[in-house]
Amino acid sequence: MQNRLKLLRTERGWTQEQLGQGLGVSRQAVNALETERHDPSLDLAYRIAALFERPVEDIFTNPYG
Amino acid sequence: MLAIGKSTTTAHRRYVVRTMSFMGVYVLLNVGAIFGVFDAIRGTPAAWVFAAAVSAPILGQIWATLSLMRDSDEFMRALTAKQFIIAAGVAMGVFSAWGFAESYADAPHAPGWFVYVLFWAAFGLISPFIRTTR
Repeated sequence: MQNRLKLLRTERGWTQEQLGQGLGVSRQAVNALETERHDPSLDLAYRIAALFERPVEDIFTNPYG
Repeated sequence: MLAIGKSTTTAHRRYVVRTMSFMGVYVLLNVGAIFGVFDAIRGTPAAWVFAAAVSAPILGQIWATLSLMRDSDEFMRALTAKQFIIAAGVAMGVFSAWGFAESYADAPHAPGWFVYVLFWAAFGLISPFIRTTR
């Protein structure tokens, strides 16, 4: 799923490890999200949105609309 | 046994300890059998107990893998499940094909325990190529 995760992370100067810690997931999971090798669950998408204080659709492109 | 990157999570460390323990027992019993430690029980009811004892660590290893998946994040869980299923499919497919080759083409006999070895060999081979959960 297309997303702006890497952009938002680097804007804040966070490493993948740091973002992973903030989200409660591994660095590998963050890397997989950024490289579109994993589509997040709704729960993880909301956790990401809450961490960046943005709506989900500001971070992830809705592929259906 | 899982090649899931350089994870240093508590769950992964627990998995490594469990794997070493279960595989240690598995190897120890097999090495003992190879060197004749259990020759006296061959052909007796105790040999059935021994066969079950050698196989028990395999169930333990599966439990350790399921525990790792339970304690991992959603990406690692999904990736491990995908790798596990594909490796199991390859192992079952290859071993079944060999079994039919034994039945119909006089291929040499392969013992049933070999499927476990085959599974982990398949897991090791396919895992580097399965990096997406899609």
